[in-house]
Order: sequence, then C-alpha cells, then structure tokens
Amino acid sequence: MFKLSRKTITSLLLIACLVLLVSIFSPFFKNSAQKTFKPHLSLIGLLKRECAGIIFYHRNMLDLGRLKYETEVLRRKLFDLREVEQENLRLKNLLSFKQKSPFRLVAARVIARSPDSWSSSVTIDRGRYSGIRRGMAVINTMGLLGRVVESSETISKVLLINDPSQGVSSIVQRSRQEGLVNGSLGSNLIMRYLPDDAQIMIGDIIITSELSQVYPKGLLIGKVVNIGKEFSGLSRYAVIKPAADLSSIEEVLVIIP
Amino acid sequence: MKKLLIFFSLIILATLQLSWPSALTVFNIKPDLLLIFAVSSVFYFNFKVALAAAIFAGLLKDAFLPSGAAINTLLFSIWSYLTFRLSSQISTENNYIRLAIVLILALLNNAVLGIQSLNSGNFIPVGIFLRNLLISSLYTGAVSPLIFKLNRKLSA
Repeated sequence: MFKLSRKTITSLLLIACLVLLVSIFSPFFKNSAQKTFKPHLSLIGLLKRECAGIIFYHRNMLDLGRLKYETEVLRRKLFDLREVEQENLRLKNLLSFKQKSPFRLVAARVIARSPDSWSSSVTIDRGRYSGIRRGMAVINTMGLLGRVVESSETISKVLLINDPSQGVSSIVQRSRQEGLVNGSLGSNLIMRYLPDDAQIMIGDIIITSELSQVYPKGLLIGKVVNIGKEFSGLSRYAVIKPAADLSSIEEVLVIIP
Repeated sequence: MKKLLIFFSLIILATLQLSWPSALTVFNIKPDLLLIFAVSSVFYFNFKVALAAAIFAGLLKDAFLPSGAAINTLLFSIWSYLTFRLSSQISTENNYIRLAIVLILALLNNAVLGIQSLNSGNFIPVGIFLRNLLISSLYTGAVSPLIFKLNRKLSA
C-alpha cells in the first residue's frame, strides 16, 4: 500500500536536500537581503512618515493652536484664582482684625493713588455716606496708614503717613520717649525732635501717643531701623520703617470715633 | 467732536496716571501724562484749545492731590502759554525738540512743586528730592512720544 516508486523517492530526497540547503543558507540570504533592502525601506519609511506629517500637519497645527489657547485660559484662570485667594486672605485678616479691634471700623478699598511724586495719598471708595469724615485715622491690619483729609459722599482722600506734610505725635513703646514722626516721601519715616539723651534704640517699636488729636493712642507706626544726629547737633532723629507697606495698600480700615 | 475726543483722552490719561501699574514705576515714580498732554496740545491744536486742555488737565490732577491749592492748574496754564510763545520763536516741528521742551517743562514743574513743598515746611531728604526731580522728569520725557502720537491722531 505504501510502496513508492524509485523515482518518487529520489524526488522526495532531492526536495529534502533542497529544503535543508535553503535552511542552512537562509540566514546569509536573509542578512544580505535585509542589507540590500534597508536603504530603500528606510527611504520609503521616511517618505511615508513625511507624507503623513505633511498630511496631518494642518491638523497638528490646529491642535497646537487649540492647546496653546487652552493653556493660556488655564494659566489665566490660575492667576485669577491666586488673586482671589490672596484677596480672600486679606479680607479674612481684615475681618478678624475688625472683630478683635476695640474701634468702630469701616472697611474701604483703595481706588486711586497720588497723581504726582510730591505727595503721598490714596483715594478710597467710601465717603460721608459710610460715616467717614475729615480727620479720621486710617489703618490696616499691619498698622497706621494715615488720616482722611477730604471726604465727599462716596469717596475720601487719605493722606498717608509718609507724606512730608504729615506729622504724627508718637512714643517709643519700650521707654515712652516722645517724638514727632514725619513722612519723607520715601519708604521710611523720620522721628524727629528727640533729645540727645533720648531712650531709643534700633528695633524699638513706635506707636501713636495720647497727645495726638487725630490718632487714637497705641496704633502701631513702625520699627526703628536707624538713629542719627540732626544737622544742628541739638537733637537726634530716628528712621522708622512703617509697619504697613505704604506702596501697596489695597484695603484700609477707617476708625470712626 | 475733536474737543470731545480731547476731553475723553484727558479722562483716560488721568485714570491711567491715578492707577499707574506698580510694575511700570521706576523707583516708585510714574510719568506725568497730564503734563505731557497739556504741553503737547500746543504743538497740535490752536492755542485756545491747548490752553483749555491744559487747564482741564491741571484741574484733574489737582482734584486727586491732598492739598487744596490748584497749583497744577496754574502751572499747566503757564507751561502751555510759554510753549505757545516759544513755538512762535523757534520751529517745534521736530519730535526731538518737542521731547526736549516736555523734558525741560517737566523739570521746571517738578522743581516748582518740590520747592513749594519745602517752602511750606515739609522735610524732604535730598536724595528723594533729586529722585522726584530728575527721574520723574526723565520718565515723563521718555513717555512723551506716545502722547505726541495720541495728540497727532486727535488733531488729524
């Protein structure tokens, strides 16, 4: 039944030898074929990629534009949120200060600053309708800011303590040494008319004195950062760093007596 | 219509000056946009309009200053008149000459305001006096070409 002719057996043996030969030499063939085809295939691959790139360039460009816009929107939202967070923090501080403070206070926002460099003032968004009158003291959570010099129905002008025309009767908290704090248009204030033997040193806290007609006693003005002798040699002066940052006030509290 | 545009421009410039961004201040100094507008109006409009603009600019500035005196109204009118007289003596067509005039008037304006402040008994350290006098004037001069452009467009 399984009897094969001689011819068939020879043919099968030949095929087997051929397969064997091919399998022995196939790696060499494979390698050389790969080597030969590599440049073409690479080139074709490159061309395909480039073609795909060109075809999808417009879509990618649109995607990039959309993503850039989304990034910008998110960045702006983040910036707004940070601003809201900071405002929230400031208002929280103001509220807690207002609740703890023994004074009757009216909160207001700064809407404008002095239009020139020779005076230091701000305009706030509350006026006579809110009970604000000329001469009232203005503070924030950090310390004394100034006093109201003009008030209309809805806005008031506040002269800051670093205005040169402003003088605040003050004392050194530690030694009760009296002096007059003047503005100098700069970031620091000057406490003048201190006697030669004045009990004052760097780091002392300066507060408003009870001699002041405008400001309630005990409001924090700032800290002594330097002490010097007046040009006349008769008295000394102290340079005060204000407790409140006068160049970046946003919310204020007006003390209603 | 032109007068109305000048009026609105002055309102916008005053608002900008009052709420000048702190990022654009130089040593806490901002330019005097209203002074530039008041002076440069003489170069672009007839004297009556320029003088009215100068008075209005001065009034706007004085309205937001703590002192009651209308010193800027007076000074702006004087600078406007002096610029008018000067422009009849020399050619003020060149922008550099206009810039120089603004710079000199800004220096004069700041000097008068500073001396007036010292004269009223205020104590201003020399460094701060010079900072206000020089940097403020230079900054005002540097910004003036932008206001010239605005005035040119308004006069066109």
